[in-house]
Amino acid sequence: MEKDISVSVNKIDNFEKISGQARYVNDIEIPGALYAKTFRSPIVSGEIVSIKIPTLPQGYYIVDYRDVPGKNAVKIIKDDMPIFAEKTLRYYGEPILLIIGPDKTIIQSLINQIIIDTTLTEPIYDERNIGVNYHYEKGNPQASFAEANRIIEYTYKTGYQEQAYIEPQGLIGYPEGDRITLIGSMQCPYYIKNAVILALGCRPEQVRIIQPAVGGAFGGKEEFPSLLGCQLAVAVKKIQKPIRLIYEREEDIEVTTKRHPSIIRMKAAVDKNNNITAIASDIRLDGGAYLGLSNVVLSRSMIASTGAYTIPSVDCSGIVYLTNTVPTGAFRGFGAPQIFYAVEMFVNHIAKDLGIDPLEFKLKHLAKQGDLTSTSGTFRDPILMNELVKRALVISDYRQKCEKYQIGDTLRGMGISLFFHGCGFTGSGEATIIKAQVKLHKDEHDFVDILIAAVDMGQGVRTTISKIVANTLDIPLEKVRFPYPDTDNITDSGPTVASRTIMIVGGLVDKAAQKMRKEWQSGKSATVIENYVQPDYIVWDEATFHGDAYPAYSWGVNIVDVSVDKITNQVTIEEAWSVYDLGKAIDNLIIKGQAEGGITQGFAYGYLENMEVKNGKVRQRNLTDYIIPTALDVCKLTTELIDNPYAGGPYGAKGAGELTLIGGAPAVAMAIENAISRRVHNIPVTPESIMELIEYGNY
Amino acid sequence: MVKHIIPETLSEALKYLYQGDFQIIAGGTDLMVQNRSWSETPVNFTKNMLYCFDLLELKGINVIDGRVEIGAMTTLETIMNHPGVPSLLCQAIGEMASPAIRHVATLAGNIGNASPAGDSLPVLILYDAWVELRNMAGFRMILLKDLIVGPRKTAMHPEEMIVKIVIPIHNFDFESYIKVGGRKADAIAKVSFAGAVEIEDDKIADIRLTFGAVGKTVIRNETAEGAWIGMTITELKTGIWRLIDMYNQLIQPIDDQRSNKYYRKTVAINLMKDFIDRL
Amino acid sequence: MAIIKFTLNHKQVIVNGDPNRRLLDVIRNDFNLKGLKEGCGEGECGACAVLINHQIVNSCLYVLANAEGKDIVTIEGFAETKRFAVIKSAFETAGAVQCGFCTPGMIIATESLLNANPHPSEAEIKIGLSGNLCRCTGYNMIVEAVQIAMKAGEGLW
Repeated sequence: MEKDISVSVNKIDNFEKISGQARYVNDIEIPGALYAKTFRSPIVSGEIVSIKIPTLPQGYYIVDYRDVPGKNAVKIIKDDMPIFAEKTLRYYGEPILLIIGPDKTIIQSLINQIIIDTTLTEPIYDERNIGVNYHYEKGNPQASFAEANRIIEYTYKTGYQEQAYIEPQGLIGYPEGDRITLIGSMQCPYYIKNAVILALGCRPEQVRIIQPAVGGAFGGKEEFPSLLGCQLAVAVKKIQKPIRLIYEREEDIEVTTKRHPSIIRMKAAVDKNNNITAIASDIRLDGGAYLGLSNVVLSRSMIASTGAYTIPSVDCSGIVYLTNTVPTGAFRGFGAPQIFYAVEMFVNHIAKDLGIDPLEFKLKHLAKQGDLTSTSGTFRDPILMNELVKRALVISDYRQKCEKYQIGDTLRGMGISLFFHGCGFTGSGEATIIKAQVKLHKDEHDFVDILIAAVDMGQGVRTTISKIVANTLDIPLEKVRFPYPDTDNITDSGPTVASRTIMIVGGLVDKAAQKMRKEWQSGKSATVIENYVQPDYIVWDEATFHGDAYPAYSWGVNIVDVSVDKITNQVTIEEAWSVYDLGKAIDNLIIKGQAEGGITQGFAYGYLENMEVKNGKVRQRNLTDYIIPTALDVCKLTTELIDNPYAGGPYGAKGAGELTLIGGAPAVAMAIENAISRRVHNIPVTPESIMELIEYGNY
Repeated sequence: MVKHIIPETLSEALKYLYQGDFQIIAGGTDLMVQNRSWSETPVNFTKNMLYCFDLLELKGINVIDGRVEIGAMTTLETIMNHPGVPSLLCQAIGEMASPAIRHVATLAGNIGNASPAGDSLPVLILYDAWVELRNMAGFRMILLKDLIVGPRKTAMHPEEMIVKIVIPIHNFDFESYIKVGGRKADAIAKVSFAGAVEIEDDKIADIRLTFGAVGKTVIRNETAEGAWIGMTITELKTGIWRLIDMYNQLIQPIDDQRSNKYYRKTVAINLMKDFIDRL
Repeated sequence: MAIIKFTLNHKQVIVNGDPNRRLLDVIRNDFNLKGLKEGCGEGECGACAVLINHQIVNSCLYVLANAEGKDIVTIEGFAETKRFAVIKSAFETAGAVQCGFCTPGMIIATESLLNANPHPSEAEIKIGLSGNLCRCTGYNMIVEAVQIAMKAGEGLW
């Protein structure tokens, strides 16, 4: 009997989390553990001349760059971030050394006594220091612009966004013989492991990484924990005692990675039939002080430079520029929220300039199955965007409300966004870099253990992957176990990023389970390992940005109804509707949770969350000043799915984790624009900026 | 050697206050944030501490003789739920922080903290609230407006403590309180406004306008208000430009990580205009 | 130094120490009850919430001295009650738990709310939860969980 896998189950970690028994890193007690606190750069840009450490009492230590046995660099994509600053200081708060000891009050006092002498250099906050520079084309953009009936150009800007996971970052490290074990809040056990191996110059067997319960991550714990891991591993190797390095909230907000702010210049060639024949874009991301994985964020932005639309010619340039500010990094969406914001606003503005209904204009250009993508790959699979839009219009009453709100001075507006997310790593990343491997082990009592590196950070992966195994093996869910990943027992199934966990890792697990089922012998233990094999029709040339960037795409439509207060210009989100094609939901409630949480973050990115970096320092440094939505800020949300099973995903599932954040900002920004009858170009659209737009903006 | 005293009675507390330099702590929801240190280490209180939160004599609400007397250690949630407390104050409290904070925070704490953005202050000052201060020798009453002299500064003497907040009950015909924060809950005010009008025989018998978070202390100008006593509502609406001019000068907001001067001033004036427009 | 006596999860306890210690640290470290969390240390996120005399309080802002004579219940203590069983079931049914870090605080907020108001409206539920930040769920599913608990637990509150 075929059971529909989408039917929700009680999540396997519900009880431990609801009862308060789940153990996050800071809940783990290790007898004799020392505490570590980071001493940081007090300047924005310059060099260390000297550091005077006070006399350390017995049992207190300093750990700095001189203690790094291997390479003083954090292995990310570009290894330009030092584990500990040596001489050059590139951002306020850059880590210089750790003070470690048994008593926090004494550690704090010692840190306060450190005297650092520096020389200052001119800080750079603008775009002159180019970290990476990419460009690609499709079709014949030069000809399109030359022959255009009309050329339309606008610039869009997006700000920082802080992940604001409720559990601050932290790791605990301890020695076990000649090995070092790190346990803590992370998304990618093997990223940390590989970074530590490079830092210590040790053998892989000498590093063990364990993931406990993780209190939210959203990309913020993708690469940053590798820095913590390296610092801690170096310290544990030197001192040979357990050490806790757990961040305070303000520290976390000030120095950990954030979403890249962007400046995106868009130019379109429009022919006399009001078709967009070419889009040229210039995408600039502020990488902060170090490149890290910023080039991949830029790639994702650039690949989506024509949004959900098929545009015959494309000319896309992108740079990551480096500044003396907090390094930016991964955050759910990973470059897509920035570009989809710009493209959606741009296409809307073009339509308004041409005097055409923006939604009709968008629908006319929507990508279809078989079309060439922006990078001259192919949309191989069915694209159901017309159905998604139709359904979204029906459930939201969009058109009627648009009409109603235009009458008089209602200060009420509707916004709609159309978007996709490329599932999985870009291009051949899965095949050439990650090379995912999964392991299932069955014991003599017919319990099956899932032994992979996928991290459940709230997105329900321990439950959904377990469901895949249970369904494929046709055994009760209770006989499937997904222990918290421990690199001693698991295989490297790759990082928990890029919306790959269900589609790629889950797909591999499904294959392994199928194999296990064929060979199943009750009462006998068995192990199955399965390795990722790249479908050979996915061909991507990284140097020229040419070919199929992703194996699959998930699609979405967001509609939002917004009101703006006449006196205070505050924004209220009245109601929102979403329709998604993510292939197939492995669990309906889990997808609903991802959808509602994602759009809430997406909206807030568009109108609420404001982080300014002034003179190299973050102005909104705590949860009082960096405002994220409370229960009173959210509206009624309706989410529907349209099934569009993807042959390459387990049970037809594609990626879902990031898709649901991408449409929020353009939808809410456009709704505000329509409510106030002023063009919006920059997000977040705060009440202060609304006031300025109403006064000085145009329509 | 820093002293930590948990007095059992008010007179014991006053005795300690008289003898030494103490920081009074009520619920602690402001002081614990301002003095916080690395987690798991005790809070950075460097002065002698006098923990007055549980002094029963300072808890409770009394409605007598046309006034509401609120004990200094009464929590905000209790005040908000009491039927005798003026509705504008209930409203202001309801928009403060969160239930968890309101279960512990006190008006005395909000007053003692004297933040320019303190949420209860514009409403209390609109009501001409008094504060009873006691020391070992006796007591004095001081208008709240006179007690708060600057950002985080009060006119309290070191040996005094707030024991009571007294709010004269006044039945207004129109009253309004608006707090503008960054989000709909748990927000520090960017701007707040409280207004109240009493009409007698079609003429204004009493009009009060206060602004919070847009100056070093709550902005209230009784001279500007007094000019309208005896006028009609229509005259008030026609002459509103006079009020706008006056408050444009009095309102002195700043740029900070939450908002900017222009927004704050514009919204403050808009709130006042809207209040008067709707009378 | 001070000697502070209070009830913790229905047991009389005595803590001898610096009265300026945060209740959060006393509960987590002295009593090894890790259900409450430190999310911000400034009373914004509610992850540190406990019930004091049946009302939700942020333990990160609550000084030990003020704990004298109070009835303090943590998620561990509350987890032994019938009310908890109803709330737990409601949170499971509604799918209201993702990363779980805010969840104990949300449970405490739910109990504090229903204890004072057994039949809250949706708006009142949101106010009751307004001091607990969640970054994963977008709150609606948590509000639904409270509504389910309210109905299923008719008579308990």
